[in-house]
Amino acid sequence: MKNFLRNHGLWVLAAAAIISVAMAAMSVFSSTSAPLSNLANILASPFRSAYTSVATWFNEKQAYFADVQAMEEEITQLKRKIAQMEADVRQGKLDSEENARLRNLNELRQQRRDLSDFESAYITEHSVTNWESSLTLNKGTAQGIAQGNCVVDDQGALVGVVREVGWNWCRVMTIVDTDISLGARVFRTQDLGLAEGNFSLMGNNRLRLDFLPVGCQLMGGDLVLTSGLGGFYPQDLVIGSVEEIKVDDSGAALYAVLAPAVDLSELTEVFVIKSFDIVT
Amino acid sequence: MLARNETIFKWALYAAATLLCLIVQSILLQRVTLWGVLPFIYPLLAAIPATYEAPVPGTIFALCVGVVCDSLLPGPIPCFYTLIFPLVGLASSLLSRSLLPAGFLCSLAAAATAFILVDLFHCLLLWALAKPAWSTGLSLMLRELAVSLPLVFPVTLLYRAVYLRVHLDD
Repeated sequence: MKNFLRNHGLWVLAAAAIISVAMAAMSVFSSTSAPLSNLANILASPFRSAYTSVATWFNEKQAYFADVQAMEEEITQLKRKIAQMEADVRQGKLDSEENARLRNLNELRQQRRDLSDFESAYITEHSVTNWESSLTLNKGTAQGIAQGNCVVDDQGALVGVVREVGWNWCRVMTIVDTDISLGARVFRTQDLGLAEGNFSLMGNNRLRLDFLPVGCQLMGGDLVLTSGLGGFYPQDLVIGSVEEIKVDDSGAALYAVLAPAVDLSELTEVFVIKSFDIVT
Repeated sequence: MLARNETIFKWALYAAATLLCLIVQSILLQRVTLWGVLPFIYPLLAAIPATYEAPVPGTIFALCVGVVCDSLLPGPIPCFYTLIFPLVGLASSLLSRSLLPAGFLCSLAAAATAFILVDLFHCLLLWALAKPAWSTGLSLMLRELAVSLPLVFPVTLLYRAVYLRVHLDD
C-alpha cells in the first residue's frame, strides 16, 4: 500500500482532483443532484422512511396515552361540574319556590296593612299522635313568637294557632284540631258563626261552622273568613269554603262542614303573624 | 332481691331502652301512616316494662314515661299521659302477676289494655269538653290497636333482654 501510494500517488491525486472538478462542474451545470449524492440518498431513503414510520408510531402512541389521561381528567372534572350544577338546580328550585312564597307574602303584606309583623318558619314535624292535628315549627320565643299567634300560608289562608312555644320551636294546632275555635264570617252573606275543629271530621281534614244564625242562606263553595271579633285573631284570614250544610243532632240548627283553604299535608313553610292591628 | 347498684343499673337500662323506642317512634314510625293512623308506641312503653316488674315500681316507671310523653306530645290536657299511664302500668303489672306470666302473650294483653285505657280517656275528655266523638274514637282505637300491636314483639324482646340481663341469677 505504501509502495503503491509512493509509485502511483500522483496519479491517484490527479484522478481524484479531476473527478472532483468534474462532479463540481456537473453539479453546477446539472438541474438534478450530484450522482454520488443521489446514489447515497437513494440507498438511505427506505431506511429513512422506516425510521420516520417508527418515530411517528411512537409519537402517535404517546399522544394517544396523553390524550386518554387528559380525557379521564376532563371526565372527572365534568362529572364534578355536573354534580355541582345538579345541586345548583335543586337549590335553585327550592329558592324559586321560596321566592314565590315570599313574593306572595309581600303581596299579602301590601294588601293587608293590618298584618304588619310576619315571621317565616319551616315545619319540622307534623302530627305526632292520632288524636290531634298539629305542626311543630322551627321558630320560637327567640324570634318573638307567642302563644295565640295565628299562622298562615303564603296566600294568607289560616293554618292554625300557636298553642305552645319554646325558645326555638313552637307547636301549632291546625284549624281542624278539636282545640280550635274561631269567630268566622261567611264572605257572601256576612253571617257570623264559630269555626271549630271536630274530632269526627278531623280525620278527613275538615272542620265545622257552628252557631249559624237562623235563616242563613249558605251555599256550597261559600268562602269563610275569620271575623276578627274580640280582637284575638286578625280578621279576614281565609279559613276555607263551605262543603256541606247539615242539620245538627238536635235537628234545630244548621251547621256547615268546611274544607280548609290550605292543604295541611303539603305545607313546608308557614308565616306566623306576630302582631296585627285591630280593624274596627 | 337486687343490690342497690344493680337496681339503679336495671332502671337505667329500662330508661335507655325506652329512649331507644322514643327515637324509633320519632324518626321512623312518625312518618308511617296505615289506615289513616300512625303506629303509636308510647302506651307500650308504659305497659310492657310493668309486666316484668312488681305493681309499685311498674306504676312509678309508667308515671315517669307519662311525664316524658306529656313534655313531648300535645294532649287535650297538659297532664294527660301523667294521669293515665300509671293506671296502665298498674293494670299491666297486675295482669302479669295474677293472670298471664310475663311474655309475649302477656305483653299483647297489656298493650291492648293500655290502648283501651288511653283511648277511652281521650274519648272521655272529648265528651267532657262537649265534643263527644265516641264512635269515631272507638274506630280510631281499633285502627291504632291494629297498627301498633305488631310493635309489641320488638318492644317485648327489648325489655325482656333488659330484665334477663339484670336477673341472671333468678
